Amino acid sequence: MISETTVRRWYVPVEVETLRRWLLVSFIVNLVLLSIDMLRGGGMGLQMGFLGLVVIGLLINTLPEESSPSSRNTSLVLGGGVLLIGLVRFMMTPMTAFDAWMQAWLIGPGALTILWVSSPPVTAWSTRTLSLKAVEYGLERNQRYGPRLRAFGAHLVLLHFVVLTLLPLLWILDIALSPGNALGGSLGGPYTGEHFSNMLGSDAFWTWMRNSLIVSIGTTLLGLVVAIPAGYAFSRYKFTGRDVSMFAFLLVQMFPGIIILVPYFLVMKSLGLLNSHLGLILAYCVTALPLCVWMLKGFFDTVPRELEEAALLDGCNQFQVFTKVVLPLSLPAVAVTALFSFLAAWNEFLLALTFNTSNDMYTLPVGLASMISSTGQAWGDFAAASLLVSLPVALLFLFFQKFLIEGLSAGGVKG
Amino acid sequence: MVNVNFEHVSKRYEDGFEAVKGLSLEVRDGEFLVLLGPSGCGKSTTLRMLAGLEEVTDGTISIDGVTVNHLPAGARGLGMVFQSYALYPHMTVRDNMTFGLRMAKGKERLSEAEINTRVKETANMLELSEHLGKKPKELSGGQRQRVALGRALIRRPQVLLMDEPLSNLDAELRHQMRQEIRRLHDELGTTTIYVTHDQIEAMTLADRVAILDQGVLQQHAPPLEAYKQPANEFVESFLCRHLDDLVDTANTLLRSDAQEGGN
Repeated sequence: MISETTVRRWYVPVEVETLRRWLLVSFIVNLVLLSIDMLRGGGMGLQMGFLGLVVIGLLINTLPEESSPSSRNTSLVLGGGVLLIGLVRFMMTPMTAFDAWMQAWLIGPGALTILWVSSPPVTAWSTRTLSLKAVEYGLERNQRYGPRLRAFGAHLVLLHFVVLTLLPLLWILDIALSPGNALGGSLGGPYTGEHFSNMLGSDAFWTWMRNSLIVSIGTTLLGLVVAIPAGYAFSRYKFTGRDVSMFAFLLVQMFPGIIILVPYFLVMKSLGLLNSHLGLILAYCVTALPLCVWMLKGFFDTVPRELEEAALLDGCNQFQVFTKVVLPLSLPAVAVTALFSFLAAWNEFLLALTFNTSNDMYTLPVGLASMISSTGQAWGDFAAASLLVSLPVALLFLFFQKFLIEGLSAGGVKG
Repeated sequence: MVNVNFEHVSKRYEDGFEAVKGLSLEVRDGEFLVLLGPSGCGKSTTLRMLAGLEEVTDGTISIDGVTVNHLPAGARGLGMVFQSYALYPHMTVRDNMTFGLRMAKGKERLSEAEINTRVKETANMLELSEHLGKKPKELSGGQRQRVALGRALIRRPQVLLMDEPLSNLDAELRHQMRQEIRRLHDELGTTTIYVTHDQIEAMTLADRVAILDQGVLQQHAPPLEAYKQPANEFVESFLCRHLDDLVDTANTLLRSDAQEGGN
């Protein structure tokens, strides 16, 4: 038997629950915005923002409770305070996008607090004039709206992160599309495609692109050709030195790149591989291989042995077992490893800068860097080129997305 | 005549563990032999040695009078059903079944038309006709089991091997499949070797059972004979007492049911 008091104790209107959560979020967001404002040297706006932060903090602590009309009234006053501070800041400070954003985070929570705390359900609840029927209806109402409000809040927060991650990219896009070579861009001003056509029309860019493609694809192919059999052997066979060599693989990865740079250079020099594609391919393979082998070994471990035995009984030899059963099953993992090697080679800068010193052997990252030093800091061209460089990678990711998710959550092989 | 012969067969692993010790066993043509024993008794190892998945340390295994010790697994003309079914997840049911046929070389190679007839035949026999286009993950446990059986049978194996094929199924399905397997054997007459630790399965399926313990053959006889005249203490306790217990439990339940009915 559930007593009436139990039911009452479990009932808090959805408005109050949601406010508690959202005010906390707005407190954190305001704190972050405030620190950014401080770096900008905010002045009066900063003081108002700080005041707003304090009031929101107080508001969180005085949100209405059951049978306490006074806490409801205090919340209303504080909510009005936040709203007021937001409005004052709105009138005092010049309007930049950032300021508008800050004020939205003061005015929004303030207005919402007043709206919801003064609403009939919350008023009745805090003055304890609800009948049991009304409480039961309220619980049902909570269940209906609670999840939706929670989802909305979560998306609002996530949206901020999306903007944060996209901001640098948008900035680069802005620079790339603005005429002239200023770093600031022209924000909404007249846009031009001249930087893109500059880059696409220049021979140097295509030479770099060609070099990068050769080196990256070469690294990927050579890496896979070595890593797939190695991973399989490590996974399936026991041999002397197996564990030691697995560990030695990792050991190479533990050195910072800069330490092995000089030895690498000397080796490449004595092999006559400076200023060649092959030299870079070999060097990149060495750095990318250990992780590839480990990743593939991990995946092969999840392929049940009985599957291979079934293939043996079906008349496969050891090699066919691998090519017809194990490899098709491991395609997602192979795709992930391939993507990883490709990316590592595509983005690498230091080795490429050191090994390949002649202009026509530059890879894209090195080529891009050279634009800043030699042709008088052509930021517009530079930005356009960076976008063009990331385009193939973005396409690759789009294409491999399905595999990526499967491969990273590897081990889905069940009979 | 397809008989299988184990002569003084031993299996020793690298760490010195001896899984099978001097096993001599004869399986007659068309016979249904069940290898029965507790886990770790060497029954699976015996089967795997015959299948060519484990090397034989000592002794000879022959099929049809031919020593197969060093023949690769695929060349022994066997079909095998695994405990986990071991269906190829990336292939459809049809491809799973025909994979072995397509791997065949030279004279054994079948034409596409023949392969299709075989698929139709086997699918009908196992009621899989509607599922041929599906992937294994779309099938239920019982259906997967039947596909595994179909994959083994479609090659018309000389000997059919089964390694605890029913242990992943629920009781009801297990009962059904048990009858199905026995029916198939009676229809096809394929020499069959079946590994299990389940006494009931052994008693209901086998023409003869071979009971193993710690790598040593304890008794090799028709099931009823093993039950009536256990060769030693182990068979007595593992087979006879276990079955008697089951009967006792059933009787007790019936009696209490009858009493309640009387009241």
